[in-house]
Amino acid sequence: MQNELLTELGQYLVEGSLTDVNVLRQTGQEPPLPILPNANVLKVGGQSFIDRGRAAVFPLIDEIVENLGRHDMIIGTGGGSRARHAYSVGLDLGLPTGVLSVLGTFVSMQNARMLNYLLAKHGIPFIEPIQFPQLPLYLAERGAVIFFGMPPYTFWHENPGVGRIPPHRTDTGVYLVSEVYGARSMIFIKDEEGLYTADPKKDRNAKFIKEISVAELKAMDLQDVVVEHPVLDMMQNAKNRRSIRVINGLVKGNLTRALEGEDIGTLIYAD
Amino acid sequence: MTQPDGREDQRHHLDSLLMRESLLDKDVRRSTEAPVFRMLPDTHVLKIGGRSILDEGREATYPVVEALAQCLDTHKLIIGVGGGARSRHVFSIGLDLGLPTGVLAELAEADALGNAHILGTLLSPYGVVAIPPAIFGHLLPLFIRTAPGVIFTGVPPYALWEHPPEIGRIPPHGSDAGSFLLAECFGSKDLTLIKDVDGLYTRDPKRHASAEFIPEISVNELRKRDLETLPFDRVLLDLLDHARLLHRFQIVNGRQPNRIARALAGEHVGTIVHKDA
Repeated sequence: MQNELLTELGQYLVEGSLTDVNVLRQTGQEPPLPILPNANVLKVGGQSFIDRGRAAVFPLIDEIVENLGRHDMIIGTGGGSRARHAYSVGLDLGLPTGVLSVLGTFVSMQNARMLNYLLAKHGIPFIEPIQFPQLPLYLAERGAVIFFGMPPYTFWHENPGVGRIPPHRTDTGVYLVSEVYGARSMIFIKDEEGLYTADPKKDRNAKFIKEISVAELKAMDLQDVVVEHPVLDMMQNAKNRRSIRVINGLVKGNLTRALEGEDIGTLIYAD
Repeated sequence: MTQPDGREDQRHHLDSLLMRESLLDKDVRRSTEAPVFRMLPDTHVLKIGGRSILDEGREATYPVVEALAQCLDTHKLIIGVGGGARSRHVFSIGLDLGLPTGVLAELAEADALGNAHILGTLLSPYGVVAIPPAIFGHLLPLFIRTAPGVIFTGVPPYALWEHPPEIGRIPPHGSDAGSFLLAECFGSKDLTLIKDVDGLYTRDPKRHASAEFIPEISVNELRKRDLETLPFDRVLLDLLDHARLLHRFQIVNGRQPNRIARALAGEHVGTIVHKDA
């Protein structure tokens, strides 16, 4: 396919090997275009948030509504307790990671649909991956859109290094949306103030961490971290979204403050 | 459950082994290691190169189609295809326009789908069909018991959710990776990558006459050699590291089509890359 219109790099991409590191390096010389630079991507936790029911979810819905028209919000959902149940049944039956991924998708889809009904009267749609081409329209028209956080890898989900649970779950899927669109922020809405040195639900000596780099966080080698590990790896390779914020959504006003760019919760950034 | 600070846990849990557990906890993750059920143990996954076979037209493609057709009498084939030169072209335009990795991955699916239909047309006299990705995974057990073989877009459905690569912006999960992941998930017997070279060489044999053939190699050895180019997606090395069911794959030269049946019979006719023990 000779084409004199192609750039020199383009010519090599067509003819050469995509495993050649020298070629790959050239493909990263220009930064990608931010596609939706004004959008904020939010992740609403499953176990940490939606599973708490009305007490946690209703105030958050109110706060999302208050911010409509002021901040564009792309809202992804976690799985939570039912995903854990499906994973444990699936593990006991010997199901492969790809099938567990399918099961996790269904649960985060239920959570997305529930939020969708709660926001329906404001005209906020729920979209599946196949409807993402319409996302910019919905965002421009309504100011928010809901999707399920699980990335659509299904049967093609990579195995984890340890165990059988799909490694790229809803934190990763939602984070990747913020990266690919070049979004303004990535905010994880959980039920803790942010990152701690241990699970604060189980260890009263756990210490809060206000701000930390991915490299420092990895060096600490914590037993338990507030976000999925692949998010940390991906942040280091990211071209656009190289920091994330974890906030406590149970505290009224925190989401608004995070959307306004205030320094609340924990900031995790790639150097 | 009472919290360390005396609060009650207000989350509504569903009773399960992983209840209340952080799935991010190391011990919890380790506890989930268990033997894996094989869904389709009698199937073979093959990946037919887009650029190396289909883009070469009739001369390269027809003999491969004939070789595959012969195998269909005795083997269940799940055939993945890549996007070939058109994917390379759309990458170069997309990069020039400043589009990110996830968008490039989404675009590449269309080329693989086109090639799936090309191969599907040529294999249709034998009852082999190309199946669109949206239903492929869920209905594969039905299709493979109904037809002697099926064709899918080898490129996995990562699309906008493709991982940002360590170097540059090209999507790391190409059709070799998609074929591997499918074979691993469904517990297929083996994975054969059909290309236009005999297998792996110390350098690209098309550019360097002195390149030496490597008949078999482990992932760690291959990493140590740090070869300039590989005849398959680099991410396959990581996927092999974490594989539970598929411990090797073989690269076979489709320009020697008689080797395809031999590879499916378990013969060593190309390069075998295997997981370290």
